Amino acid sequence: MSADYFAFFELPRSLALDLKDLEKRFYKLSRQWHPDLFARKSPAEQEQALEATAVLNDGYRVLRDPIARALYVLKQEGFDVGEQGTKDVPPELLEEVFELNMALEELRMGDTDALPQLAAARTRFEAMRAALDADLGTKFAAWDAVHTPGTLTEIRALLNRRKYITNLIDKASNVPDRI
Amino acid sequence: MAYSDKVLDHYNNPRNVGSLDKSSASVGTGMVGAPECGDVMKLQIRVNDENGIIEDAKFKTFGCGSAIASSSLATEWLKGKTVDEALQIKNTDIVNELALPPVKIHCSVLAEDAIKAAISDYRNKQASKVAAPAAQPEAVKEQTVA
Repeated sequence: MSADYFAFFELPRSLALDLKDLEKRFYKLSRQWHPDLFARKSPAEQEQALEATAVLNDGYRVLRDPIARALYVLKQEGFDVGEQGTKDVPPELLEEVFELNMALEELRMGDTDALPQLAAARTRFEAMRAALDADLGTKFAAWDAVHTPGTLTEIRALLNRRKYITNLIDKASNVPDRI
Repeated sequence: MAYSDKVLDHYNNPRNVGSLDKSSASVGTGMVGAPECGDVMKLQIRVNDENGIIEDAKFKTFGCGSAIASSSLATEWLKGKTVDEALQIKNTDIVNELALPPVKIHCSVLAEDAIKAAISDYRNKQASKVAAPAAQPEAVKEQTVA
């Protein structure tokens, strides 16, 4: 399954995409490859239509989400975007993660004093994620203008940070029920 | 995927959970994390300044069972070792001891990184103690925060 999603949608490989335009392309291709149109065709052509539909759906899912799209491009460019072995995390963020986890643990043990701390942490992390997304937007545009590998390395670091912050927001949002 | 008995044992009865005085010159602190799974691991050692032997080791890990077991095991191994011996601990030793599956190898890597970070922090403190015996700005800051 080595179909290039950008090529399939007849788009240049870019990190910033017009979602309206992408949606139009998706519907046009959906009609083009609709299985009903192939009902009377040869088995080989039916198979081809089925494969195209699979690429279409997978590709649309990846391309319409800016983060999934960026990870897809990173993978294409040879970056390791797997589960393991990424630890490009600034120490001050780790400290915050640790403190937030401590606060969460205290909450779970019934110490409601930690609640305001948790709410404040959540607000802070949401602001951090918003700032990161703005940064990412700038870097996406930079890479689209000139395909420099250095920009992708920066994007990789930003995405790591974003993943951590998203985990934190989830954790801060999931306050135990019994409190 | 099932955890091995050893992982479960460390997970249910973690050894050496807690913290040491971060501001002490004899204590090294390592804080490491894995963004993909959101894990964060703090590992601390207290070293006898005279013979370089690790007298105490503590950890606190927020993460999966394998990450907790890896750091728990690491603190067990660290106690009684010299700093140089401690640097010889490899993540593969942890993988073998805990029978970690391939998808959990990064947890052992995290533990090895935490050991190295703690030792490096200890050595930096010792070096700066020699350079400037009176200056302890970090300790002052800690107290005002707490």
